[in-house]
Amino acid sequence: MDSSVLTVSHLVKDYGSFRAVNNISFTIPKGKIVGFLGPNGAGKTTTIQILLGITTATSGKIEYFGKDFAKHRSAILQRINFTSAFNTLLTRISVFENMMVFAYLYGLKNPKDKINELLNFFEIAHIANVRYQDISTGQKTRVNFAKSLLNDPEILLMDEPTASLDPDIADKTLALIEYLRESRNISILYTSHDMNEITRICDEVIIIDKGVIVAHDTPLGLTKMIPNAQVRFVFDNNKTAIKKYLDDHEFEYDFEKNNVVLINAQEKQIPKLIFGISKTDILITDIDVIKPSLEDVFLLFARKKHEFS
Amino acid sequence: MNFLRIKAIIAQEFYMSYRAIEILMDLVVFPVMSIVVFGFLSKYLTGINTPAVGRSVLMGMLLWQFIWITQYTVSFGSLWNIWSRNLSNLFVTPLTVKEYLFAQTMSGVMKGLFILFLSSLLSVYIFDFNLLDIGLVNLVLIIINLSLFAFSLGVGILGLIFRFGTRIQAFAWGFLPFFQPITAAFYPVHVLPTFLQPVAYMLPPTYMFEVARQILGGDPIDYGYFVMAFTINIVYLTLAVSFFHYLYNKSKESGQFARNEG
Repeated sequence: MDSSVLTVSHLVKDYGSFRAVNNISFTIPKGKIVGFLGPNGAGKTTTIQILLGITTATSGKIEYFGKDFAKHRSAILQRINFTSAFNTLLTRISVFENMMVFAYLYGLKNPKDKINELLNFFEIAHIANVRYQDISTGQKTRVNFAKSLLNDPEILLMDEPTASLDPDIADKTLALIEYLRESRNISILYTSHDMNEITRICDEVIIIDKGVIVAHDTPLGLTKMIPNAQVRFVFDNNKTAIKKYLDDHEFEYDFEKNNVVLINAQEKQIPKLIFGISKTDILITDIDVIKPSLEDVFLLFARKKHEFS
Repeated sequence: MNFLRIKAIIAQEFYMSYRAIEILMDLVVFPVMSIVVFGFLSKYLTGINTPAVGRSVLMGMLLWQFIWITQYTVSFGSLWNIWSRNLSNLFVTPLTVKEYLFAQTMSGVMKGLFILFLSSLLSVYIFDFNLLDIGLVNLVLIIINLSLFAFSLGVGILGLIFRFGTRIQAFAWGFLPFFQPITAAFYPVHVLPTFLQPVAYMLPPTYMFEVARQILGGDPIDYGYFVMAFTINIVYLTLAVSFFHYLYNKSKESGQFARNEG
């Protein structure tokens, strides 16, 4: 049985002669968090806008829960929700009034109970009667989150929800997302520029560039796309000997200090490298293995330094 | 259409109306001040002319305010959401565009009727003019026709706002005044230059202001004017809704709708 909650097939979006989204296809499985990454202008926001129905696709098909989004718009939007750092609620009215508006929009039977439950859950009940414009950025994020859970969505689309938050609030926000996934089995499509966030919470990552999906894998799988790691040796003596060893074995390296060398090596070569150096008379006092991160993968695509097969 | 979703938009309008001082100024203070000014003008004209002239000027203002408030509300609600970056939030819910339009027009009528009631009370107690002098049924027919005209204009402007964003936001409050001289709200149509008179008769409010003046002046009522105004209104409303849908779809195609955020 297909457990995907969202299936995107051959999605294309043209703005005149500019193709913003170029034939992308992907699925979001039930209960999974899928990161959606790409440099500015890659097509992430356009894709999310299409997935929400506020921008029309040029061609392609979107299915939520096995139903065609174009034909079942209202029924599907009843089961999904959206939150973004770039959208706010109506600024002049209170938090509670904003929540009431959305509770009615989602047809809640007991809106006040549900709103109070969510405000308590997000620890913002004390600002219920404060105007939205008068609350802090961190509080706004939590209010937006609370709004996005009013209809108990089965899939949540999140567009850089932690942008402009301080690290402490961002960390709490991520913890909330992790909690939501665990407690409610929600599927999430998550965009962010913070690779640590993506690595922390996402089960899968899609990288999009110039409207095309250039990679789709687990965070670990993506980092393995970069075969090279780095090893930093701190040594006590004999720079000449270590230089000779590295030259003899054709490693790329750079002496960061007189007693610190940074060596580029394929991951599979690292044990051999460490073992080989340990057999010489070079006295190694510290070893640091630096594996490629998701950020390296992202930069690789963003800067187009390499070609992947 | 879903009643709760319509209620949501009306509730939002209601919350905004008592929270935003700008709305209170635009929808309560300025209209009431206009009625006060036109009330005194009416008294003055009554003193130097026939009473019907003075009364028809005040009546013209009361009815014009109704059109203004209804159209303003229909067009303006979306701007508050755009300025707050909340418009997308509304349209990623099950809310349909039909429900949104219906809710906005209902808000417009409710606000328009509330201010008309307030202004009419003021007219009765300060200026000794009762709008009901034109007859309850006639007043209802006039209000229906003026509402339909305000809807057409409001929905058309809303479509332009959705399509072009805040670049043309001034249309929300600045477009209707262009119609004021042509609809002959304060004077008979024959006062207008000859070339403008056919244009005036292309606008439904013109018929309603003419009918209202006929009643106040004790002249026989031309009921054909109601029919004519209603017919033109239906044509305009149909065109306005089609125009809105065209612009709404274009806005979603061009990506402008999603970018409509302040």
